[in-house]
Amino acid sequence: MFEGIFTGFQVAFSLEGLVFVFIGALTGTLIGMIPGLGPITAIAVMIPITYGMDPAFAMLLMAGVYYGAAYGGAASSILLNAPGESMSVPTTFDGYPMAKQGKAGKALAIAAIASFVGGTISVVLLTLFAPFLARLALSFGPAEYFALMLMGLMMISSFSEGSTVKALISATLGFMIATIGIDLQTGTRRFTFGNANLLEGIDFLVIALGLFAMAEVSSLIFERRQSGNYTSKLGSLRLNGEEVKEMTGPTLRQSLVGFVIGVLPGAGGTIASFLSYITEKRISKRPHEFGKGSIAGLAAPEAANNGASTGSFVPLLSLGIPGSGTTAVMLGALIVLGVQPGPLLMNEHPEIFWGVIASMYIGNVILLILNLPLIPYLSRILKIPRPMLISLIIVFCVIGVYGIGFNTFDLYLLVFFGIIGYFMAYFRFPAAPMLLAFILGDLMEQSLRQALTISNGSLWIFVEKPIAFSLLLISFLTFIVPLIRNWRRKQLTKKLERNG
Amino acid sequence: MRKFFHALVLFTLAALLAACSGNGTGNEEAIEENEGTEEETEGTESTWAPERPLEIVATAGPGSGWDTTARMAAKVLEEEDLIDVGIGVVNKPGGGGAVGWAYVYGKNDPHTIFVTSPPMLLVPLNGQSEYNYEDFTPIANLIADYGAIVVRADAPWDDLNDLFEDMKADPTSITVIGASAPGSMDHIQFVRVAKEAGVDIKQIKYVSDQEGGALTQLLNGNVEVYSTGVAETIEQVRAGNIKVLAVTAEERLKGEVLEEFPTVKEQGIDATFINWRGFFGPPNLDFAALSYYEEMFRRLSESEGWAEVRAQFGWDELFIGSEEYVEFLKQENEAMKTILDELGLGNE
Repeated sequence: MFEGIFTGFQVAFSLEGLVFVFIGALTGTLIGMIPGLGPITAIAVMIPITYGMDPAFAMLLMAGVYYGAAYGGAASSILLNAPGESMSVPTTFDGYPMAKQGKAGKALAIAAIASFVGGTISVVLLTLFAPFLARLALSFGPAEYFALMLMGLMMISSFSEGSTVKALISATLGFMIATIGIDLQTGTRRFTFGNANLLEGIDFLVIALGLFAMAEVSSLIFERRQSGNYTSKLGSLRLNGEEVKEMTGPTLRQSLVGFVIGVLPGAGGTIASFLSYITEKRISKRPHEFGKGSIAGLAAPEAANNGASTGSFVPLLSLGIPGSGTTAVMLGALIVLGVQPGPLLMNEHPEIFWGVIASMYIGNVILLILNLPLIPYLSRILKIPRPMLISLIIVFCVIGVYGIGFNTFDLYLLVFFGIIGYFMAYFRFPAAPMLLAFILGDLMEQSLRQALTISNGSLWIFVEKPIAFSLLLISFLTFIVPLIRNWRRKQLTKKLERNG
Repeated sequence: MRKFFHALVLFTLAALLAACSGNGTGNEEAIEENEGTEEETEGTESTWAPERPLEIVATAGPGSGWDTTARMAAKVLEEEDLIDVGIGVVNKPGGGGAVGWAYVYGKNDPHTIFVTSPPMLLVPLNGQSEYNYEDFTPIANLIADYGAIVVRADAPWDDLNDLFEDMKADPTSITVIGASAPGSMDHIQFVRVAKEAGVDIKQIKYVSDQEGGALTQLLNGNVEVYSTGVAETIEQVRAGNIKVLAVTAEERLKGEVLEEFPTVKEQGIDATFINWRGFFGPPNLDFAALSYYEEMFRRLSESEGWAEVRAQFGWDELFIGSEEYVEFLKQENEAMKTILDELGLGNE
């Protein structure tokens, strides 16, 4: 194994290795920064370029693009409220409010540092445990996934801004949208109204950009006269001691969480970043700050989604199983280059296996160095006159959505969700539960039905599997504990009233 | 920032240009010559050649089977100088192909062709596409791929008959997984074999997992059988994780690991499933254009570059010219329809 690591570093530190990692990281960052464009697009663009390249260097390049895009994705989320892909949605929750408060520079710096820590911690874990972690990737079956999704769902109420009922209504809408398309387990069409464009369901990005970016743009237009809540100030980049302290805990914890969830095939970065945000809010001493520009709330999802990006290389490299849409595209690219990724990759192509891992150390450093000095330039986006900025955001959203399937139908959907998002914001319905329910709903339904088909309809399958059962227990507790606490508080006040 | 971006665009363009420039020139004359003879022999028929760059539509996203076939075909066609105009591969994913087919149908341009395979029959039969194979002009089939029926290495079954015995005895004890919905390829190839073996196909428990999780579920023991393409199995077999009980080809495949896989037929079950892949043109493509494309793909199929591509991806050679292709599709469509109707998944 040490020999392998050594080979890997030799590949990564060769001149070509360094150049390709740099190009990859740079391209990834730039594409990731454009709202609506994320890692999948970035990698798809690179595939024709890698034709005929040495497979090891091609992989370094694509891996660089991949985590580079994860870094870059933070910028458009923070500055414009326009996430480039699903896993940077939670970054908008606190990043955008910070930018609005004139702390855009600080927010970008926090995102870059948290990304760096998340990426680096998980690449160390990847180096040390990759072969062993393969077993973890295999430990999740439909029952376990269902329990994991349910746990995430139990936390939806965390997103309520005051009214739990409104959060639940929003989540229900999300579930309903998730059912659109061909039902995977029976092949039946649901709510497609005979429209071929709806057969594969609605893409996450359409909803995210509609609910967040388009809705935000509409509010900017309608509320242009009362511009008190918006500043174009960049603010200082420097973090003070207290701020560093505030981000340390969440960053370290969520790097780990992100990595572990990234390892599980199918779960991926989106769930990692949502879960990390929710858990930090749960355990925070100042949960009321979340959603209003909390440093912990920004650092957590950024650390987690970079951790998850790295984690998703575990099933890809050690088992030949793509854990996400993006790694599936990379797997396809590897086959084009003549390398069959599979369980033997580590032994037969150590230069690829370890080369990719070693290059991630360099890549993370390059990205940090690349990103920090870019911040002042990036933040100038906020200085663009508002009418131009608004048009630019709309243009980028349209490009990003059109890029999903080169389909104009998606653009109508984008506008549709923009309108819904605007009215939701106007009537103070939180959009996050809708999005979370949409992501979880799809996976949750599939895994529930898979599990029940396998068990011939018996619910026992959720009890006899220890991981599934523990996760269900945790979900149950997160649901029941606040109820008990409320009840006891009521009892206490009653007692006080009686005594007083 | 801006300079960076310009540099990047330049780099990308340069790389694309490098990738597109071919190296052989010898074949150009051959094509012209050939066109000449065609004109003489056909007499009344006018010849046709593309005036604009070709658009090959892959009705799925980058990295998919259709996309890979389209891109590889485009690459070899240009490298071997089998075509005088440029080729662009366009992805039109959505609806399991339906969105792309509607696009080609609507465009109805002889410069727009597309790559397709059994879903071209299955998706319309499931009632999920407005257009079916008869709405287009089949040009030529190029390659074939086969299905594999896979179990874990430590599973109790050593051949298909063992497995089907147990399935007949207790259909609830065995779950089959595939990457796509019921009524699509992974499901139908298994059902076709099981039906021939006398299994009650309505009793088969089938689950689908699109997120790359199907293999995971087989390896961790949540499901017993994995229905997939042969190419996906090779690395896992070499690592000793799984065994291939059967492949759906007519005869044993060639290749290092491949030749060890028994066929369905040699186990006494008379069934095959071909994952054919070929190119279709727009509706009612006129005869001159059809002949041009058919000849182009025949040359592609016979070229050395394409042989290398086939070897790289483990595809079998299966060239079928247009006329024969239509017949073949008609037969396949009937067979699929029978199965889907029996499963209750058919459109009618």
